[in-house]
This record gives sequence, structure tokens and C-alpha cells, in this order.
Amino acid sequence: MDTIKAVFDYTLREHVRSRAWLSAALFGLVLLGAGAIASVLAVNERGRMVLDLGLAAILAIGLVSMVFLTVRLVLQEIESRAVFLILTHPVRRWHYLLGRFFGTLAAVAIGMAGMGLVHWLLLEAFGWAPAGSYALAWVSILGQVALMGALALLLSLALTSEAAAMAFSVFFWVLGHFTPELRYIAERSGSGPLRGLILAFARAAPDFSRLDYAGARHAGTPAAWAAWAVLYVLAYGTACLALSAELFEQKEF
Amino acid sequence: MKVLALRGVRKVYRRSHLGRLTETVGLDGLDLEVERGEVFGLLGLNGSGKTTAIKLLMGLHLPTCGTVEVFGKPVPDIESLARIGYAPEAAYLNRALTGRENIRLFAALSRIPACEREARVLAMLRRVGLERGMDQRLSEYSKGMLQRVSLAQALIHEPELVILDEPVTGLDPLAIKEVRALILWLKGKGKSVLFSSHDISEVEKVCDRIGILSGGRLARVMTQEEWQGRPGALEEAFAASVTRTDGVGEIRLD
Repeated sequence: MDTIKAVFDYTLREHVRSRAWLSAALFGLVLLGAGAIASVLAVNERGRMVLDLGLAAILAIGLVSMVFLTVRLVLQEIESRAVFLILTHPVRRWHYLLGRFFGTLAAVAIGMAGMGLVHWLLLEAFGWAPAGSYALAWVSILGQVALMGALALLLSLALTSEAAAMAFSVFFWVLGHFTPELRYIAERSGSGPLRGLILAFARAAPDFSRLDYAGARHAGTPAAWAAWAVLYVLAYGTACLALSAELFEQKEF
Repeated sequence: MKVLALRGVRKVYRRSHLGRLTETVGLDGLDLEVERGEVFGLLGLNGSGKTTAIKLLMGLHLPTCGTVEVFGKPVPDIESLARIGYAPEAAYLNRALTGRENIRLFAALSRIPACEREARVLAMLRRVGLERGMDQRLSEYSKGMLQRVSLAQALIHEPELVILDEPVTGLDPLAIKEVRALILWLKGKGKSVLFSSHDISEVEKVCDRIGILSGGRLARVMTQEEWQGRPGALEEAFAASVTRTDGVGEIRLD
């Protein structure tokens, strides 16, 4: 655990000092402000518009930052050869990978928390602060960011190219919003191989319908929804990290 | 007692580009042993396999065939790594962190207890002469300062075996003298040292034994008695043992 913590600490520090991270957080704050201004258009639903636009901005900035940082996370250290010195110390490779991943997730979560605080203050100013559903939305957003981060890390190690990993992450992000539809198409498909292919993609892509906070607001028991959402994120994230660790274990530097 | 041993080690790099597979032989049946407490120098031309041999010892590469052992255990072994200090040819360090933060990181990775860590980090930074610049980020460091951080991370956990890959390449004469003194100081403390170099004059000043690598094989092993008091003996032996394998011809002076 000490080695994971040491790698986590330096990764977090590295990201917090990076200008790209700061720019993303500032851009997010600008988006929140723009959302508040645009809400003038919705005369009677201003609070709801600030809420929805703000959450969408936090999700977009969180996702872009997480995918951008994780696809470069290990590849850049291999390219700069900084990974040489880490791995020639008594460090298990999967410890290194976990420390790097969770350090990045923590850096992105800190940025998102800053944006969330500003967003919450804006909602308070508009007199519209539904505490329960806001917490559910946060579970969903953080879950989506963590899932995409784990997937982007796996893709970067499998494809060994930042650009390809980024492109495939976007592909799976889009696909992940249509998994129920993909399953429906697979069931209706007459061709066996095609059905297998569609089902494989539907299973490989993260199922974002399980993390849809807009739907959860209307769910009967939000606590049960949140528990299932967390469980899904843990299961999918663990699978991606385990596969990443296996790929990383095979690498020669 | 042997601290490291490579037996019949062959390393072939395979690369595939547009479906075409190319193979490069890095090591071709290397046999090498280093005894406890000795300073062993690996001499060789570019591409002779010095860095490949070191990467195999550090577990960064896996041999295509043959065995690699450190402290009697097959590589890679996490427990053995805790007893080795390694400084690569260039300082591959995280430039976003300060000198102190880098050494603190490697102290934590080397399992130095948290209660001792800070004192050990400060003592090591003082030892390598970086106490004044230790809170600057590495992006502001000169090459010589980076090399010192690299040495500090290799020595922070007081390893039994120190492996230095071309430690004097690109350094100024004063820094070279300091690295030489450091190797002799490590020897005085009973540590084993393996280092690679192109520089024959440096190797002959500090080594107990040298191995001349050529084409991925150990062409010759010499002991100190064979070159001490015989100026030019090592250079002659080197020239007689190595052949260029990198496809570069001689410079013609006619």
C-alpha cells in the first residue's frame, strides 16, 4: 500500500501543477457562468436550466480531462523513460498502475469538486438547490468519469498510441449510450456472426443507462439506484484495471 | 559469493512494421558474473549490449533464452530490487517535481520507513551537493544537477549492489572526478559496483575487473593486475577484442 500511496501522491502533485488541468477547470467555470447567463431564456425554469447546464458542463470537462490525462498517463512515462526508475525499485507493476490511475482520478475529482461548489452557489442564488438529486447526479458523473478513465487506460496500453486510444475512447463513449439499442438490434439480427459482433460491442462498451441520473430522479428508490450504479462502476472499472495490469506486466522497456 | 550472474543469455528484439518482422540481436550468449565487494566495469562500443545486459539485470527486459540471477534469485524479483541501486545513462526523472520530492518518492518506493525518510532524504541531498537547489523543480536543473539526483535516488536506500549505466558520459572533468571518487567510496564501504562505460581511462582507474563486450558476447575478462603499471595495455586489449557491429566504417585520413 505504501508504494501505491507514493505513486498516487506524485501523480496527484504532477497533475495539480499542470497548466492543462488548471485551464480545464477554468474553462469549466466559464461554462457554468455561461449556463447561468443562458438560463435567462427559460423564464419560469431558470433554476432547472442552471442545474442541467451546470451538470452537463461538469460532466463534459471531467470526461475530457480524465480521458486526455489517462491516455497519456503511462505512455508518456514510457516515452520519457521516467518509468525505468520507478520500476527498478521494489514496486509491483500493478501498484504503479493503480497509483497512477487513482492519482489522476483524484486530480480530476478535485477540479470537478471546485466546479461543483461554484455550481451549488449559483443554484443557491437562484433559490433552487435540491440536495438529494444533486448528490445522485454527482454519483453518476463521477462514476462515468471513473469508467471512461479506466477504459482509456486499458485502450492506451493495448493500442500503445495516444491518438488511437483517444479515438477509441470517444467511440466507446458514444456506443455506451446505445447499449440497450445495440442489444435490441442484436436480438433482431438474422445473421449469427453479426449478432455475436454487435453483442460483443454492447458488452465491451460501458452501459451508461445504468448511470443516467436524469432517469434516477424518477426512480422509486434512489438509494438502491445509487448502490447499483456504484456496484456497476466498481465491477467494470476493476475489469478494465485488471486487464491493463496484465498488459503492463508483459511490457518490456 | 556472486551478487549477479548471467548465463548463456541471448536477447533478440523483434519488431514488426507493416507486416515485416525484423530481428536484432542485443546479446548473444552472454556469460558474466560479479563477486561481492568488487567493482566490475563493462567496456564496449555502442550497440555492444552493455545497456541491454543492465536492463536484463533490472528486470526491464526478459531474456530470450538463458538465465539472469541477482543475489542468487532469478530476475525479476521484487525483493532483490530492494537491494540494488540503479542509475541509468541519463536522468530519467519526473521534471514536474522538485529534487527533494523526487528523492522522497524514491525513498518511499525503496521501503524506507516513514519516520526515517525525511532525515535520510536531506542527508542524501547534502551528500550529492544539492542542499541549495533541492526545492527547485527539476525542469530548472542543469545536466550535472540532474545526474546528481539520479545518483541520489540510486543510493538513498543504501543498496548492496550499485549498477551505473555510463555514469560519466557527458559530464565535465570535475564531475567525472567526483563520480570516480564515489565509486571508490562505495567500494570502501564493501558495496559491489557494476558500471558500463566507453571510457577506458576511467575504467582502469577504479575497476577490480573489466569485461569487454563485443557483438553481445563477453570477448575478454581482465583483472587489475593485467593492466596496472602497463600503460596502454587495456586500450590494446580493447582494440584487439572488439569489432564494429553497427555498420559504421573507420574515419579515413588519406
